[in-house]
Amino acid sequence: MTADDVSTDDIARALAAAIGDESLLSAGLSAATRLEGDLCLDSLDLTAVGALLRERYGTAVDLTGYVAGLDIDEIIELTVGEVAAYVNRRRAAWPQAGQGR
Amino acid sequence: MSRFLFVPLPLTGHAHPALAVADALSVRGHDVAWCGPEAYFRPLIGPDATLFPTGTRLFRDQAGHGIAALKSMWQRYIIPMARFILPAADRAILEYRPDVVVADQYALAGPLAARQHGLPWATLATGAMELTHPLAALPQVDAWVRAQQASLGHDASDLLFSPYLVIAFTTSALTGAQAFPGHFALTGPAMLERPGAFAWDLLDPARRTVLITVGTLATSLAADFYRRAAEAIAPLAATVQAIVAGPPDLLPDPPGNVLVMPRVPMLALMPALDAVICHAGMNTVCEALAHGVPLVLAPIRHDQPVVAAQVVRAGAGIRVPFSRVSPGQLRAALITVLGDPSYRLMAAEVGDSFAAAGGAAAAAARLEGVAQGAR
Repeated sequence: MTADDVSTDDIARALAAAIGDESLLSAGLSAATRLEGDLCLDSLDLTAVGALLRERYGTAVDLTGYVAGLDIDEIIELTVGEVAAYVNRRRAAWPQAGQGR
Repeated sequence: MSRFLFVPLPLTGHAHPALAVADALSVRGHDVAWCGPEAYFRPLIGPDATLFPTGTRLFRDQAGHGIAALKSMWQRYIIPMARFILPAADRAILEYRPDVVVADQYALAGPLAARQHGLPWATLATGAMELTHPLAALPQVDAWVRAQQASLGHDASDLLFSPYLVIAFTTSALTGAQAFPGHFALTGPAMLERPGAFAWDLLDPARRTVLITVGTLATSLAADFYRRAAEAIAPLAATVQAIVAGPPDLLPDPPGNVLVMPRVPMLALMPALDAVICHAGMNTVCEALAHGVPLVLAPIRHDQPVVAAQVVRAGAGIRVPFSRVSPGQLRAALITVLGDPSYRLMAAEVGDSFAAAGGAAAAAARLEGVAQGAR
């Protein structure tokens, strides 16, 4: 992990911004927090989160496409930490693709 | 005269449209029979109606929300229910000899039995989960749902959509521009009044009236939502009064401008309402829109997020997160829906599309066509 890596906190901030609910940040999110089971995000929320992650971390980050590739139990169990790891994998694979802030 | 065997589900949102369509068939001179649990359906269909009982089976409460709720709905309800109803549906067809089987979209025993006997069958799409195929975005989940159906041992074709007739209780004002095949009939809602008297003198004509309901859900989730809703409404006492349609024990000590009633005659009440706050259940939403009443929607699970998104896109309501919405956010959403006339206008526009689509009578006419085609 380098200083440049996207952290769980970064993802938590992106989630809160995307769904317009800052109370998520005070709820003590961790890498193990599940998007669906713990945060009650639905598919519409995920679309908004996906758009924001792409804007922040580049066009190689396609959360909707990533989730579409998961099976039913992986979607149910998807965590904040897994989203951070996915974003970091994409940024590592496509360092030239429009880095955001 | 034709004979129609209904295979419904004993759930309010599913049973009511089926009952309304069956009434419309009877009015047109047809014969109707039912296959379902006696304890649930007998009070609804009356003592003289023909019913082939399935017995009553209790299913465990379903899980939370999202994809987990979808998984549990299939594994714990739809598939076991199909196996449970199938023998009764089979017997009903042998004894009643219907021309057409009319099945709820999730009462898969209906199409399974109809096929065994070579009968045409129609789908009653009482929800919004399947029609616009939102699961297409999650191909592995979609494949999982198909595998669940396949576990019932049928061929590869779809049990959720009849190749003869699919009646969907919605219109393109909600589903959007998507085109459907000719055997899909979007009839708008088929509505049925719920029993329940209402003390009209409780309503203050000088204040706006808001109905709050999360349907038949009676859990701590519902209690928590009603508590936040009551907190949202309390400071608006000068201009707003609210009716919570739910079990009174879920909201003890409501504020003075909040009435709690276990049973409300929804259709009679709708013309008196200025807004509805609900869980985006298809029936409640359609009843509100049919009367041009705008909505604040807090979807919980299943097709409710889909319904909420459709209403928001139609401009007839605002969506808030069911589990997280604070009293302040809920109050702000309500004030917006009450204050900005565009929500009421757009709700009325959806309502006009419902009226034009024909509802239960139009559904009955299409079913008649299937029966005639079968002769």
